[in-house]
Amino acid sequence: MKMTTDGSLAHKAGPAQNAGRPALSRPFKPKWAWLSNLVLLIYALLTLYPLLWLFLSSFKTNQEFFGKPFALPSTWHFDNYKRAWEIAGIGPAFLNSVIVTISAIVLTLFLGTLTAYVVSRMNFRFKGLVMSLFVAGMLIPIHSTLVPLFIMMNKIGILDTYASLILPYAAFELPVAIFVVGAYLTSVPKDLEEASMIDGNGYWGTFFRVVAPLAVPAMATIFILGFLRFWNDFAFALVFINNQALKTLPLSLSVFSDGYGTDYSLTTAAMSIAVIPTIVIYLIFQEQIMKGMVAGSVKG
Amino acid sequence: MKKKPVSLTALALAATTLLAACGNDASNNAASSNAASSAPASGSSGASASAPASGEKVKLSIWHNFSGDDLRAQAVRAQIDKFKAAHPEIELDAQAIPPDGYRQRLKTVAAAGEMPDVFFTQSGTSIQEFYDGGLIQPITPLLDKYPEWKNNFMEGALDRLSFDGQAYATPLSGSATSLFFYNKSLFDKYQVKVPTTWDELMTAIKTFNDNKITPISLGNKAAWLAQSSILSSLADRVTGTDWFLKAASQDGASFTDPEFVQALQLFKDLSEAKAFQTGANSLDNTQMEQYFVEGKAAMMIDGSWALTNMAATGTPEQLDQVEVTVLPSLPGGKGDPNSISGGSGGGMALSKTVTGAKLDAALELIYAIGGPEGMQAIVNSNSVVNYKVEPDQAVVTPLFYKAFTLFKSVKLTPVYDAYLTSAAADVINNGLQDLLLTGKPEAVAKKLQDAQAQALGK
Amino acid sequence: MTNSGRLRAFIAVGLLPTLFIYAVFVLVPIVWSAYYGFFDWKGIGASKFIGFDNYAEALGDPIFWKAFKNNLIIVAASIFGQLPIALVLSLILRKSTFFQRFVRSAVFMPMVVASVVIGMIWGYIYHPQIGILNFLLEQFGLGSWIRDWLGDPSINMYAVSAPVIWANIGPYLVLFIAAIQNISSEVEDAAKIDGAVKSKWLYMIVVPMIWDTIKVAIVLCISGSLKAFDLIYIMTGGGPAQSTELLATYMYNNTFEVFRYGYGSAVSTLIILISMVLVLGSQLLMRRK
Repeated sequence: MKMTTDGSLAHKAGPAQNAGRPALSRPFKPKWAWLSNLVLLIYALLTLYPLLWLFLSSFKTNQEFFGKPFALPSTWHFDNYKRAWEIAGIGPAFLNSVIVTISAIVLTLFLGTLTAYVVSRMNFRFKGLVMSLFVAGMLIPIHSTLVPLFIMMNKIGILDTYASLILPYAAFELPVAIFVVGAYLTSVPKDLEEASMIDGNGYWGTFFRVVAPLAVPAMATIFILGFLRFWNDFAFALVFINNQALKTLPLSLSVFSDGYGTDYSLTTAAMSIAVIPTIVIYLIFQEQIMKGMVAGSVKG
Repeated sequence: MKKKPVSLTALALAATTLLAACGNDASNNAASSNAASSAPASGSSGASASAPASGEKVKLSIWHNFSGDDLRAQAVRAQIDKFKAAHPEIELDAQAIPPDGYRQRLKTVAAAGEMPDVFFTQSGTSIQEFYDGGLIQPITPLLDKYPEWKNNFMEGALDRLSFDGQAYATPLSGSATSLFFYNKSLFDKYQVKVPTTWDELMTAIKTFNDNKITPISLGNKAAWLAQSSILSSLADRVTGTDWFLKAASQDGASFTDPEFVQALQLFKDLSEAKAFQTGANSLDNTQMEQYFVEGKAAMMIDGSWALTNMAATGTPEQLDQVEVTVLPSLPGGKGDPNSISGGSGGGMALSKTVTGAKLDAALELIYAIGGPEGMQAIVNSNSVVNYKVEPDQAVVTPLFYKAFTLFKSVKLTPVYDAYLTSAAADVINNGLQDLLLTGKPEAVAKKLQDAQAQALGK
Repeated sequence: MTNSGRLRAFIAVGLLPTLFIYAVFVLVPIVWSAYYGFFDWKGIGASKFIGFDNYAEALGDPIFWKAFKNNLIIVAASIFGQLPIALVLSLILRKSTFFQRFVRSAVFMPMVVASVVIGMIWGYIYHPQIGILNFLLEQFGLGSWIRDWLGDPSINMYAVSAPVIWANIGPYLVLFIAAIQNISSEVEDAAKIDGAVKSKWLYMIVVPMIWDTIKVAIVLCISGSLKAFDLIYIMTGGGPAQSTELLATYMYNNTFEVFRYGYGSAVSTLIILISMVLVLGSQLLMRRK
């Protein structure tokens, strides 16, 4: 897999100036285009394979899963899904995951973008210190925060509520949001904001009307990354939620193991259900990133 | 139940305490749904202790890791559900936590001093941690209340769940960790005698290798497997049980003693005789069981959990070929050859904070799960129990029936990691992986000795 | 309110809620964990203050340094593997044609699939008996290259690096694509007039323009690589004989498996400190512009 990308790297080095078109939108001479497209296609199929494997496995029996890991299911066991759904209680867990993930994302995006705007455009005392504090948060292995967070949230009484997941999720993702959106804003010219300030929009008006719309591609990136992380988190969800009714999805995915062996037909069925929203979110927000690009180039 | 680091830091955190002040009410609510210690232990439970029929419900929480769809998990959950139905006066909060995260969850709440009332814990080192931490109380009164139940446990079944003569849990399952499985059609086909001595084993290995059949299936990626299944029994054959118990307590024997080094050397000999498939260190136990049940290997030394795993992944025809016996004997060894390493699995432990009516309810719950009825249900789910009970042959698999009959007829010897400290168990696990590569028995023995001595403070 | 007063108020409102949440849920646990590191504590029962003993023990443990070295391999693989590939792909895949969208989405998909699935598939690729890689080598007459990819301590760290790179390109691709949008067509036209060839265009114009994002990506790479362990843990369990042990697995084992909570906390504090040094070092190296 590495080789294919190395291959496309090699092509990149070749001269690819093309008459009549901006260089960027047509990177290769037509002669080479089919080859690079072929390489890309093979690479894409290889990266898609795990997803396909997951879906195929979810229709198999355990015997087939181990005996013929790469074959198609000999009979399609649709009831794996029904059983997985019922045994793991996926319905309510799914809803909880949606609530927690979306709330955490909204919080992360709002605070992250606002703070990114402040740190990338304005000066204040201790800016360096604040930024290095944010770096520290990206480096801590989350498992070592479990006990302190548990004790603390127990004391302030938010343990066993949605907030016990939403707030730590947002807190741990904030540095990423600040750095990514901040880096993005740094490369955006300040003209639009200055114009907005002169129009009398004030800081808040400028933030909501100019900065936030400009930062949509970066925010969409954070949406995708944060969604992935929150949706799949196991450690916090395992420890901070006690009430069965508030459990999130990752816990449901791991119930089919007895410590010595795992029922893979049910596990893969549950995983297949859980993976759908992430794919949908990715596809939606990828479009947001690209839309932002069009809007940006019009302005530019 | 506060530990020093906790309370000190809590004080130091001005920001948090500030929040804590306004969040106190909510905290109590959360704690009571948690049903851990504080709220129920105060006023209400005292009242209901004297008058349980007053209409006030007893709140009880239980944590376990029987979360899956396997038969044993279903059996245990069914017992809990029965208890719930039979006791409307008890508000039972039963939590089935996935096994992968169970220990992490339990450790975290233990560190914070917020234990559930009743919880599943492994035997040996795990339950000892809770005992040492003063978090659990004995269930001896319950055993005394039902003497018939108590007397039906196999000899030594409660040993690794007891401290100072008091039982803190009863085993929900037993385990035989070193069952010697073999594929009888492969033995027939190549006319190999099922080995009863070490020499016969080496001959069998050679014959199978000559015929391009893997002699012994081993998947030691999870490192504990070779220790728990092979070394525990093999070393016992060489050193005898007494030596190991002394070495484990670092009292009169050391892991650097020649007999233990010899046991490690025997393991290394197996590896050098190409007894195991290539890449044994990168396969997991499911893969190794699969490999064996498909007839690609002639033998396998594995625990009773393999009975369920093989039943789940093998066809009935494949399973028909599988026979089970004890590991071959070692001439001159000090151990009893008619033995299998094994012991008690975990059981339901009882939090120390539980008192009054709640205590009565908790004990009844423990009995409902691990009592005679529970034992029968668990053995019928193809799980080994250390309890004198006859599995229902109409329900269990033939292979399980064979293995359980064998289990009842042999002596049990200690499993290494149930007696070693967890740090030392980690060392020997990694050491055995190393022996499969380039490691030297003497060096591994030395490391194990150092780790055990250090962990015990000797 | 004066202008500067309004600015100050805006800065305060922009910073304080973020800092508050961040301090309570991230900084406090970090400090708290560092504090546990000074105790001999099993996580249950009595604890004993032992000063810097845990920290000293970790620094004196060869396995700690082995894990550190393994982590550096993963960091290097991420920075020199993931980032360049993601950067090149982001330049190729900027259009919204169906094909480009398809490839872009496909590249991201290993991220959405659970690590256990990725780990199992790569386990089959490297499988010592039925492995696809060894099979292919055999077919192409390279039988002498056949290895026990995950079981041989001299190569298994490199073997596990490949899936780590492969599975994590997606986020960086998204990051770079978002950043590259800032490059307006004017810049492209200017480059064209200059007659800049493709490769030059890449290095001279795109890289400097998204330099800030690249810097962030490198920080993300370092932090991700030092914390991440699930994929490798699924493939090798940290073994054999701890040959693929990582700092995070080392920390996790001591905390939750070996019952040395205090020691595990000390290790996690050391992980933060080490990562800090790496991050600061990388930022110093990249001080251009």
